[in-house]
Amino acid sequence: MDDLRDPTERAYIQNYSIYFCVRPQKLYSLAQESGRTAAKYFINTYPKYFQKDFANPHIPCLMPETLELQVNEVSEAALIERIQLRKVKAAVDMYDQLLQAGTPVSLDLTNDLLDLISLYGDCDPARGDAPEQRTEEMVSLTLTSNNNAERIFNMMPERNRRSYGALIRGMVKHGAYSKAFNTYTDLLNNRLTGDVHIFNALISAAPEVREKYVEKWDLIVDLLKQMAEQKVKPTLLTFNAVLKALRRCGSLGRTQAFPVINEMKALGIATSAQGHTEILQDVLSEISGKSFTAQDPDDGIIKTQIHTFLLFTDSLCDIEQAYRVHSLLGVGENWKLLGDSYYQSIYYGRFFNLLCMMEHIDVVLKWYKELIPSLYYPNSQGMRDLLQALDTDNRLDLIPQIWKDIKRMGHDNKTELVEEMLSLMARENQIPEVQQSFADCALDVKALYTQTDRRVPLSWSAGSLSSITSILLAAERTQQAWEMLKLFKLANRVPESLMNQFLESVKASNNAQQAVELVQISASFCLSITPNLMERVQQEFDLTEEQRNTLSDLESSTAMSD
Amino acid sequence: MAASLRHSTLFTTVCRQLNSTLWLNVGGRSIHSSAVCCKNRAARIRVGKGDRPVTYEQALHPHQIAHRKGWLSQHTSNLQGEDGAADRTVEDLFIRRLIYGTFHGCLADELVIKRRGNLLVICALMLQKLPPHKYYFLVGYTEELLSHFYKCPVKMEIQMLEEKSVYKYL
Repeated sequence: MDDLRDPTERAYIQNYSIYFCVRPQKLYSLAQESGRTAAKYFINTYPKYFQKDFANPHIPCLMPETLELQVNEVSEAALIERIQLRKVKAAVDMYDQLLQAGTPVSLDLTNDLLDLISLYGDCDPARGDAPEQRTEEMVSLTLTSNNNAERIFNMMPERNRRSYGALIRGMVKHGAYSKAFNTYTDLLNNRLTGDVHIFNALISAAPEVREKYVEKWDLIVDLLKQMAEQKVKPTLLTFNAVLKALRRCGSLGRTQAFPVINEMKALGIATSAQGHTEILQDVLSEISGKSFTAQDPDDGIIKTQIHTFLLFTDSLCDIEQAYRVHSLLGVGENWKLLGDSYYQSIYYGRFFNLLCMMEHIDVVLKWYKELIPSLYYPNSQGMRDLLQALDTDNRLDLIPQIWKDIKRMGHDNKTELVEEMLSLMARENQIPEVQQSFADCALDVKALYTQTDRRVPLSWSAGSLSSITSILLAAERTQQAWEMLKLFKLANRVPESLMNQFLESVKASNNAQQAVELVQISASFCLSITPNLMERVQQEFDLTEEQRNTLSDLESSTAMSD
Repeated sequence: MAASLRHSTLFTTVCRQLNSTLWLNVGGRSIHSSAVCCKNRAARIRVGKGDRPVTYEQALHPHQIAHRKGWLSQHTSNLQGEDGAADRTVEDLFIRRLIYGTFHGCLADELVIKRRGNLLVICALMLQKLPPHKYYFLVGYTEELLSHFYKCPVKMEIQMLEEKSVYKYL
């Protein structure tokens, strides 16, 4: 039931308005998972309440799992049961008891036991529904863990290839690499041949037992030759092991990767597209249109690395490749290869970045609507890319809508983003409707700045203040613009460039009193432009006697301070 | 003494008879009855001083169902020729109690339980009493537990409210 669930299913509680950022999403899905695990714990610990079977036909995944041992007498059936339930210690005990009682244990069963011990390294696996414990003991047990396996192995009257295989793979898994090679030599001495699993394990262990890159590669080649001699056909996992080992071989590995991939193609092995960056072009042309199944457990991580590598090479600005990669995701089960939400966000981040750089704004907006917010939450860098794209294509009128999205995504506390947006809006004058929408947006931003209950309050800068004021002036909201001037004083910033604009707007309304006030304010800020302003006001406005007096006072005071 | 002896023999004969009847009935069921609630008092909140807030669901009386109220439990077993109505009712009661206890103090109104084919959908209105990750934990827990209990997929759909929506004060 788990694997067939809708992959895009996400927890969704309506109206709890905080779920629009990436981190809470992940937190909530993890919370839901842990709730499910808690329920599974109860179900498996008290199975008697969940035995009644309503379902017709029977749904086996909804029944409690039997985790307790049923068969208790010393017999082969008991050993089989313990192996199936993955109870390593109990299985080993049962095996010893069987041997003591003199019952011969069949070769297959002993092989199964060896497999079990090798897989779990001699300690019981943690219960799937109990809280995960990554203990240090697991690591330290590695070298001693194979004692049980080795002991049983040595006690076996006859051993076949499978027994050797179990032992070697267990040793490689738990880090006893040189022992693994010794056992392999043992195998050859007993005139048995290895099988593909043994070789895979040995290849992946090869880099650990040699020092230099060349020696490592030689060892791998040696193993491959032996494989060919023993007529063992390599599989996908073999090649994956070779490639993984090559990554440990540094630059030598890179040159050797080409022929390996070519051989893979020649053998017609369904590729898992694990490769290096240089060969990606070829790989892409090969793999387009085919569907992959994640056959190797490391595939997901490596595939997402491929995605990022691909998009990195697309920073050579190849939008066509990016589209091809993106369409690949739609084939079959490839979406699974994209990895978890972290890798997804990297992938979509780079994809969106590329789009903003290369494509026309309409295309960008189309992708924006598609990707956000269902697949990807852009970070502030992504939003800045989008703003730049808008700027390039002269669609600044869309900024108020983008601002709404920015607020919703929680990026409204990023000062650089907000300031950039404001400066874009303030740069030029727009047609009246757009200017009004800009003014509304600017007032919204101002409200944000002046909110006192924020955790990290935004601090005014000269740039943001001037931008907001000029937007308001251009939209002819003079009253609010004047209020902004007061804010300048409060925030200790100086409104250098705005005085002329203010003068223009005051002239439009022909308000002499305001003009005088303007000059006074400018003098209080000690702006260099004050004398200029004064002259203009005296010339262009009809001033009363009082106003003239005020002005001349100011003039003298500024002249004195000069 | 004699009277008590007689009583006691009577008692023992009655007991023996009862025992025999019980012994005959041991494979069958017995009636379990709760206190009586007449239909003119069931699910009705009486008008009081005017200080008791009451939701729409509580304010409208049962005869308003299908007129001004909907159903809280939606399934097809009450249709002609369908069976299992009693089982569905008992399941509903169990689910309501389970969720009342699991989300204690968080429910804003009665649950609505819908059955679509095999799927059991529990629609709940909740208050914002707990932080959201706790809600998600409880939702995952309840869904899993009920799925395994009733052997059918169970989904919860939750809507959050700031506070209980009051229809009027009675």
